[in-house]
Amino acid sequence: MTDLALGRPVGPDTRTVPGPRRRLIGLAVALAVLLGLLVASMMIGSTAIPPTVVWDALFHPSKDIDQFAVRDFRLPRTVVGLVVGMALGVSGALIQALTRNPLADAGILGLNAGASFAVTVAVGLLGIRDIQGYMWFAFGGALIVTLTVLVLGSTRRGQSPVMMVLAGLCVGSVLMGAGSALQLTNPDAFDVMRSWDAGSIVSRPLDLLWPTLPFFAIALVLAFAVSGPLNAMALGDELAVAQGVRLVRTRIIAIIALTLLAGGATAIAGPIGFVGLMVPHVARWIVGPDQRWIFAYSALLAPILLLSSDILGRVVMRPGEIPVGIVTAFVGAPVLIALVRQKKASGL
Amino acid sequence: MTTTHPRRRRAALTAAILSAALVLTACGSSDDSSDTSSDKTAAKTDETHTVKAGNGDIKVPNAPKRVVTIGNTDLPFIDMGGKPVGVTGVEESELSLLPEDQRATYEKATDLGDEVDLEKVASLKPDLILVQIPDAEFKKIEKQLEAIAPTAFWGLDTEWRTLADSIADAGNVKDALDSQKADYEARIAEMKQKYAGLIKNTKFVNLDRYSSSDPGTFVIADIGCVEIAQEDIGLNFPKAAAGADPLAYTSLPFEQLTKLSKYNVITYPADAKGQPTEAFAPVVQTNTWKELSTVKSGDALGVFCPGNNSYGAVLRYLASLDTALASLPAAKQ
Repeated sequence: MTDLALGRPVGPDTRTVPGPRRRLIGLAVALAVLLGLLVASMMIGSTAIPPTVVWDALFHPSKDIDQFAVRDFRLPRTVVGLVVGMALGVSGALIQALTRNPLADAGILGLNAGASFAVTVAVGLLGIRDIQGYMWFAFGGALIVTLTVLVLGSTRRGQSPVMMVLAGLCVGSVLMGAGSALQLTNPDAFDVMRSWDAGSIVSRPLDLLWPTLPFFAIALVLAFAVSGPLNAMALGDELAVAQGVRLVRTRIIAIIALTLLAGGATAIAGPIGFVGLMVPHVARWIVGPDQRWIFAYSALLAPILLLSSDILGRVVMRPGEIPVGIVTAFVGAPVLIALVRQKKASGL
Repeated sequence: MTTTHPRRRRAALTAAILSAALVLTACGSSDDSSDTSSDKTAAKTDETHTVKAGNGDIKVPNAPKRVVTIGNTDLPFIDMGGKPVGVTGVEESELSLLPEDQRATYEKATDLGDEVDLEKVASLKPDLILVQIPDAEFKKIEKQLEAIAPTAFWGLDTEWRTLADSIADAGNVKDALDSQKADYEARIAEMKQKYAGLIKNTKFVNLDRYSSSDPGTFVIADIGCVEIAQEDIGLNFPKAAAGADPLAYTSLPFEQLTKLSKYNVITYPADAKGQPTEAFAPVVQTNTWKELSTVKSGDALGVFCPGNNSYGAVLRYLASLDTALASLPAAKQ
């Protein structure tokens, strides 16, 4: 397997890529930060609950009212934040590698539009009001649209990243328009979609999450399985084929993985922007262009961004809260701009 | 007290905006035709009187026969026994709360839709038009409406009692209003006396949740029916500081339910049978709610609020509140 980090010339404007030891240390640091945020997410909330109560809520459960608040509200949003964050981060890295486009995210293949349209149909036409009901519509919508884009973006010579992006933008635009039309004529759908479109991990019970975990697990395995071939494809299709990479198979596996990851995450939390776009950039800046490391870092950095944004959203407007989808944009945009202005290593 | 339902306000707003273009073309006929319309209207009724409205002193027929109601005037007018010939769109969630006879009256009238069709309004040949929509939107259609029939308009900031008085005066339903007012005053006086102890010693909090609320959130509601309980009966509900936004404007995460233990009594929105409304049901399903001491002691009361913009609706609210309060252990002592 080609290690692109070693294969690329180091010019005066290019960062020196850290070696495996430093990458591992960085990964360990990211893991420690993530663990710290998981604890913080359990401790910090709209109300002040003593750490001892949080501890007891998890390990010595009783019917104390504060314990219920920890178990029923903080624990699910923490777990959901972790899983959704990992899914968004890896899917973002996958789609950027697949399309060789550093500005790509799940939205570029029409995935968010597909999920959003399906939820609008579920709410507006079928009268489904709870997330347990319309989550699967979102998942289905994302899957169908991605498959459609895959077909539309295929040529006789296989899948073309440019064609897929164009097909995704076209299908996404059509569905966005149709969804908006439905929402404007249906107040119920408008109300639900207003909340859903903001992107939130609140009030997503763990029962909602469990059925999606197998999909996420399979998708993560698939993503890491194609990370090596994606490294070779970054050099160009001809060179990748010369190295024995099967382009069609790699692209199809990558699309299946990113659809399951991004579709599942969007179905649970709504379209949370910026995470899938920004985190792979940061990962690439830290570890260089090796997709294996980018995927690993993205899997940790994305939940870090999501959980820290969620915690911030709980405290800045106390006793109210700001949906995490709004905070990620406010937190992520300045960081990404600063990185892009300083470094050139995030190019694909 | 501002009494306009947000969704109806939005519907009225949309109606006015979308109809504006239609109005400009549909009512783009010459001034001559407008004058003719006014002449016809004047010819219908011999006697008139003047009512004070948001758009000035309006001369209206003493006994209007064909009234069109636009925006938030339709249900209050029907509540006072009025029988409009044309009404604007009211959502099913609101219609379902009406008594059967009022719903029948509403459905018998011509539906002008959310997007008020001014051609349809004109075709009904009304002798009076009653309007409550946002000021800016009324300005856009004011002249067209006045060309069709005398038009009395009130802004959304009009207090509901003032609106009722004005509608009754303009729509010739004052007798019914006087009867409702008498019932209302009697009920308030009775409840003040009956619950004097609760008024003095009990800390209430009124919760709500709307169909548009974000998942996992509720509000401490200090607007709506609870204002009657607070201001007219004197029950001690939390209220926003002077000059601040109403408490109901801040969505609170479910975690904040743990802080409700400091109140003696919780009221929450219920349907006519006393069951939590569909929008509020997620709150009562939480373990936190179930373990609240107030809930466990039976001091959480579902109260039916069919509306707070007409005396009939408010009387039904008071009846529900009375029944709920009577069930409190403190009230039985």
